[in-house]
Amino acid sequence: MSRLFHRIAHGARLQFRRERAEEDLREEIEACVDILADRKLAEGLDAAEARRQARMELEGPEQLKERVRDARAGATLDSILQDLRYAFRTLRRSPGLSAVAILTLALGIGLNTAIFGVLYAVVLEPLPYHQPERLALLWSSFEKLGTARAPMSGTLLKEILERSSALEGAGAIWVGTGTFTGDANPEQVKVASVTTNFLSLLGIQPQLGRLFTEEEAAGGRPAIVLSDALWRRRFAADPAIIGKGVAFSGRNLTVVGVLPPDFRLHFPADSNVPADVPAFTPFPNAIFKGPRTLYYLRVLVRMKPGVSPQDAQRDLDRVALEIRGAYTEFSAEKLTFHAIPMQGDAVREIRPVLTVLFAGSTLVIVVVCINVVNLLLARAGQRGKEMALRASLGASSSRIVRQLVTEGLVLCTAGFLGGIALGGLALRWFASTRPDQLARYRTATLDWQMLAYAGGISLAAALLFGLAPALEALKTNLVERLRDTRGGARSAAYGKLRAALITCEVSLGFLLLIAAGLLLQTLFHLRQERAGMDARNVLTFEVDLPGRQYPNDAARAAVVKRWEARLADLPGVSAVGGVSHLPLDDYPNWYGPYRLEGAEQNAGAALLADQRAITPGYFQAMGTRLLEGRHFEPLDQAQSRLVSIVDETLARAAWPGRGAVGQKINVERWQNGAFVPVWTEVVGVVEHIRHHGLATQLRGQVYLPYEQSSRPHLSYAVRAPGDPAHLAAAVRAELHKLDPDLALSKVRPMQAYIDKARAPADLTAKLAAVFALFTLLLTALGVHGVIDYSVSRRMPEMGIRMALGASHADVRKLVFREGLQPAVFGVALGMAASLAGAKWLASLTYGVSPFDPATYATAFTVVAITALIGCWRPARKAAGANPAEIIRNE
Amino acid sequence: MTQSIDIPPGTLDLLILRTLALRPAHGVGVADRIRVVSGGAFAAGPGSIFPALRRLEDSGYIRGRWGESENKRRARYYEITPEGQKQLEEKKRHWLQILAAVSSVLDQEA
Repeated sequence: MSRLFHRIAHGARLQFRRERAEEDLREEIEACVDILADRKLAEGLDAAEARRQARMELEGPEQLKERVRDARAGATLDSILQDLRYAFRTLRRSPGLSAVAILTLALGIGLNTAIFGVLYAVVLEPLPYHQPERLALLWSSFEKLGTARAPMSGTLLKEILERSSALEGAGAIWVGTGTFTGDANPEQVKVASVTTNFLSLLGIQPQLGRLFTEEEAAGGRPAIVLSDALWRRRFAADPAIIGKGVAFSGRNLTVVGVLPPDFRLHFPADSNVPADVPAFTPFPNAIFKGPRTLYYLRVLVRMKPGVSPQDAQRDLDRVALEIRGAYTEFSAEKLTFHAIPMQGDAVREIRPVLTVLFAGSTLVIVVVCINVVNLLLARAGQRGKEMALRASLGASSSRIVRQLVTEGLVLCTAGFLGGIALGGLALRWFASTRPDQLARYRTATLDWQMLAYAGGISLAAALLFGLAPALEALKTNLVERLRDTRGGARSAAYGKLRAALITCEVSLGFLLLIAAGLLLQTLFHLRQERAGMDARNVLTFEVDLPGRQYPNDAARAAVVKRWEARLADLPGVSAVGGVSHLPLDDYPNWYGPYRLEGAEQNAGAALLADQRAITPGYFQAMGTRLLEGRHFEPLDQAQSRLVSIVDETLARAAWPGRGAVGQKINVERWQNGAFVPVWTEVVGVVEHIRHHGLATQLRGQVYLPYEQSSRPHLSYAVRAPGDPAHLAAAVRAELHKLDPDLALSKVRPMQAYIDKARAPADLTAKLAAVFALFTLLLTALGVHGVIDYSVSRRMPEMGIRMALGASHADVRKLVFREGLQPAVFGVALGMAASLAGAKWLASLTYGVSPFDPATYATAFTVVAITALIGCWRPARKAAGANPAEIIRNE
Repeated sequence: MTQSIDIPPGTLDLLILRTLALRPAHGVGVADRIRVVSGGAFAAGPGSIFPALRRLEDSGYIRGRWGESENKRRARYYEITPEGQKQLEEKKRHWLQILAAVSSVLDQEA
């Protein structure tokens, strides 16, 4: 209360002082005029002439006062407050214009800031590891593979470590699943098998205990490190957990450490290393002694200090050369290595998406600014007299500029506040969609980088808004402006500037429309395209078969068969099937070499195919179509003839123009814990299932009966009419009856995988559409504003034209031509820009050419209609001109 | 009459302080005295004197108070404050340094 009183008193005192100072100034200048006039009188002039000359000598008392006010240090604040008050008054006087300006600014700034925030957090911010710029991922590449991003075999990694001089260390990781047992609540989790140096290579510190040591490598002391989340959930954040044993996938492991709460792995999606891994344990086998061609290790390296990624790559090129020289099979496969900086690799999939979105939202904010400048210029046209009046009353030009910039600042401050509010909401929504690729983006907070960014663009916009009209206001002759009732000679210059702005706006709108059109068609194609299955009405879940309960292939095959039968008996279930690797899942892919009859026995020349072990009901459960031959049957047992089903891609490649059924193919099956190459007979051909992404058909696929290749990792697909989620409880209950220790995980509809895979395309297409619509709206507004202004200034001309015999249609045509001309230029510019950017956009499109003529035609039509809509009302107004009345008014 | 020249930037304050250090004066008086003392070389009009006076007053180097002029007119008289005195000394020294430096360069040239 007393503070409030104090502030009021302070304000009053300030006001009083200001008034006194103003009064003093007035009196002082009056006194000066008197003194000077006295002298003139003494020189013999008459009283009136003496005063006139005295005033002239003072260069005009009003102007002088203004200059004194400008000069006074304390006055700066005063005049700023004055400017602010004035700015608020001006904005209130045209509430419609102000509202449109502030609202569009808020939308533009909000969108742009939100997307910048995500871009910063995901792409630009350094990874949260020790000296992250020295970390890189190491990929191997073989000619036959069709990808430069294959994992590494243990032997190869050992060769690299022995030969390379650029690396300080290298660690490997492979993420599979495991099950915590030993209590009433078995839980299946993802578990990372790592080399003992992997976590320390990242340079992180555990929050409890320690990381792994050498003694825990390959068959040494059994140890496990837990994530913070798992430690809290399953072990109730027990600080005494360190040193205790836990039962995990049939082994007894000692907990040695707990990772910090914010620890995440930032690997690219195709490494199958998810961000949140609950548990880490050293590889149980000696990885460096594994088969030379078993490629499964995801390798992380730390470069020596001072070694650039280019240096490392040169060193690895040399190493690859040596290895090719030492092993003929690697020479035949043209083995090379690639060291990719971890920061860039982690975001390689999402970066193009975010970059396009950021570019799009930047275009939007540019269009917003153009529009607001346009509105302000239109108003400046109307305010020409006001400015001239102020100038003649003694306002310096810097003062007028300051006034206009203050108005811009007020607009932009409102826009900034609205923008960060909207941006905050947009971020919350963004975080709620949680696409996997945005693993680094988990918190919907406005941090200082975003505030600074939003503040920066607001300030830049404010300067632009103030300076554009100010330049116009100052350029022109004061006297002419005061005399002219409309703004006269300046209209031509204004018109040109504003037409240029319309051209920009239309071109950006066209560009965004093309992008939105292509991305929406991409989304449409992704929705329409068959992924090789029918994901509706399918429930999926994952089980882990711990070695203790299911020690051998036969035991596993037996329970899998029993479960399948029980699940099939559940009410409403029409099909059930198991698969070792569910499509679109993040479990590490299983692929291996295959050979055909007649091909020479050279591992290096082998072709590669994705491999899956499935149970007989799998294809029916997934809705995958059988194109030729038959499904697997219960009769395809472990001891019977070895059979396989291939997909159409492999069938076409292997036996072009011939039937695949009955052909022989050599593939590796999983037998007694190892991959064993065997000859199988193809009994069926199915359509290609998109395992790796909705838009990718990477390589052919070979399916083996689970009985003949019983991988311990298994997912189930259960088909039943209606919402698959309703089935979940029944499935859980049934399996719990069969094996109380069995842990189910990832119980979710197959559609969830499809949606997740489509999320980035979905997001880009929808946002691009929003951007394009918003820009079109702004363009229509902009065209309307410019043409309307021009028409209202040219009403007399219209009247005269009509008096001289022009028809309504003639006048309308005139107006439309004026509006469409800059729009046509804009389209031409926009087309040039979008053609130039097509290559860039092509990385995001699928099923549609970036030069798609239909999209261009549509965009052209839509932009033309937008411009026409913008001209509509002004044209009607012009045609409605009453010649007699207008000429009378002139 | 000597051709009047522009007052070098930044030196107007110095000239005003120096003038007021001799005796208090009103605005027109300051302008008069600068013109007379500089032999008519510097013509500082009221248009530049008044803003400078207010600025100096706001900085606390001079103090204005109402008094009576020679012709029994009410006028605002300015006098220098102790801070103003100090400021004057400093500006003077600074100016002389510049003068010396510029002169020596010019002399060397010749």
